[in-house]
Amino acid sequence: MKIKIIYPDTAKHSSGRRKLLKILKWPFLAALIACPIVNVCVGGKAWSIIAVAGIAMVWSLVFAPDLVEYNRLSQSVKAILYACIMLILIDVFLVSGWALLVVPIVCLGGLILSSVLFFSDCRKQKQNMLPMLFLVIIAVIAAIAGLFIWKDEVSWPFLAMGGAAVAQLIACIIALRGEFIRELQKRFHIK
Amino acid sequence: MKVKNTFEEYKDQLSADELELLSSFFSEFDAHVILPKKERVRMRKDFQNAILYYSNTGIALQTALSRLDLKNLGGFYARPAISWYPLDDAAKIYPLSMEHGRMSVFRMSAYLKAAVVPELLQIALSFTIKRFPSFATTLKKGFFWHYLDASKRRYAAEMEILTPCQPISVSQSGSPAFRVMYFEKRISVEFFHVLTDGTGGMTFLKCLVAEYLRLIGIEAEDKSCVWDINQSPHTSEVANEFANVKRPKASTSFADKEAVQLGGKLTRHKPHRVLHFKLRSDELKAAAQRNGCTITAYMLALMFVAGKFATDELSGDMSIQVPINMRKFYPSKTVRNFSMYCGVRMPICDITDISSIVKTVSEQLTEKAAHESVSKMLTSTERLVNSLVWVPLVIKLPAARLIYGFMGDNSFTTTLSNMGIVEMPKELSEHIESMDFILGTAINNRAGCGMVTFKNTTTLSVAKNTVDPSFEEKLYELLCAEGLSVEVEGSERYED
Repeated sequence: MKIKIIYPDTAKHSSGRRKLLKILKWPFLAALIACPIVNVCVGGKAWSIIAVAGIAMVWSLVFAPDLVEYNRLSQSVKAILYACIMLILIDVFLVSGWALLVVPIVCLGGLILSSVLFFSDCRKQKQNMLPMLFLVIIAVIAAIAGLFIWKDEVSWPFLAMGGAAVAQLIACIIALRGEFIRELQKRFHIK
Repeated sequence: MKVKNTFEEYKDQLSADELELLSSFFSEFDAHVILPKKERVRMRKDFQNAILYYSNTGIALQTALSRLDLKNLGGFYARPAISWYPLDDAAKIYPLSMEHGRMSVFRMSAYLKAAVVPELLQIALSFTIKRFPSFATTLKKGFFWHYLDASKRRYAAEMEILTPCQPISVSQSGSPAFRVMYFEKRISVEFFHVLTDGTGGMTFLKCLVAEYLRLIGIEAEDKSCVWDINQSPHTSEVANEFANVKRPKASTSFADKEAVQLGGKLTRHKPHRVLHFKLRSDELKAAAQRNGCTITAYMLALMFVAGKFATDELSGDMSIQVPINMRKFYPSKTVRNFSMYCGVRMPICDITDISSIVKTVSEQLTEKAAHESVSKMLTSTERLVNSLVWVPLVIKLPAARLIYGFMGDNSFTTTLSNMGIVEMPKELSEHIESMDFILGTAINNRAGCGMVTFKNTTTLSVAKNTVDPSFEEKLYELLCAEGLSVEVEGSERYED
């Protein structure tokens, strides 16, 4: 069977990223298995939980990015949420007593960052609004819960976080007006 | 000192009248294209390149500007993007099941008689895309389902440098779910299945090629078989027809028992090789008639025999998936997905030679591709989609990947998608050599076959996912033994 070649030579364009991922997969997997084993053998605090969460976070953010909606807003929100989860885990499993103060402040920082990213290019970023909206909703819920549960311990970080979230939501509605509703219709459609 | 670019140099040679003509053309351009600056500059450059091409080929400026008439842009680039489209029922699975390096992509190509002029193809694409608003979109995540969000931008026609049917990056803001490419005499369009099926894809390719040929200077008198790109898109053309048709109450199961896979180790790089078997349609039709069946049934029989030769398995069933165009049963103009599929299945021990299996294949095809059978599948699809409506995407995604990864395409040995006969206006057909259709959707299947007929050439395209050449070699041998003239074209083996 004689084949006439009618396609360009693509040898030079083979995927370097795919090769890199293939190589990196193994040390990541090894670390994922080794950390809990070493932790159990050595004993002490459950640091391996933080290590495993960190590995998962790096893999998800750096090596296996989102296939849909990979943009600066979604990645920033994702990184902030991961950071908050990591901080909570560190507080629970390693050194306790500071997360109630730090996590809302980090989340507040995240809200400010997402606001800057959104309002600096509102026309384009309105298409990427959903992750920011999630962060706002999570922040509002967390602030209400925080103020209700820990009202005698620390209240100002929760107040600041909740206030910023509500302000961001209002600013977003004012900036987008009718488009805000249209964006919500798209994002929550069930058709 | 500012260095003049080629277009500036070109302008220096023009007369005052011509300069005025050009100036009014570009001021009209500014009214038609209200995109972000970067995009606008690129589009302006596209038109400048096209004008330069015309000038270099001795075409007068007036003629060039009349071919590039900006009314062909319509208001598409001047209005903000506000429309959006929920995915049709068949498309919903594609974004859920895609992974890094794996995506359901298919390609359609037209082979012209002369080398493609990239400058004019780019303009043809800019003119054509407005007629297909559901293609001028970007894939987005909703809370429950993905959807297509309108994206007004310059869609680029690029030189082909990749293996056919490679995943399309749909992750960035505004990134399209299709790509237009050219290589020598070939114009190709690759689609992520989320946008359209073969029929919709072919409608687009035909419009693109017709518009490209018009820009070259070839006009057709009767354009009834190609959409007029300057007509307004109609709602019915972007409709999710799955939701509109009357379905039977009875449904059918998607799951089927595992089929025998062709032999050979799966390559990491998919497809590993693409082959086109170019056949004479009249000979193929005569061969099918000799066997008392349709061309699809005849080709399926050939594939069963070649498939048996390409595996070491001695027991089990071979099954070939055959997509069915639902527009046959429910007339529709939609360019969204509106296809179902059926599986033609045979025990491997019953596969002997073409003449002895062709009757069974034909009977199965008639029965399984019948209105009633595929309508049951339509009902199943709708029920499945409805049952998942209120499940958030964040839960659907990992579940779908797990199920799809587990089941994959194991219930089929291979696929044969026959696009049928493609018609183009007579004047344009004279400038088109042939067409092909490549399926790049396989996971575990070692081969996927697409077939399309243009004029007297039927092209059977095989996308191979294994180095083992026995399937295509046997297929070639069978075609020759049947007395058909076969020309084989294709790619080198891609690096794994």
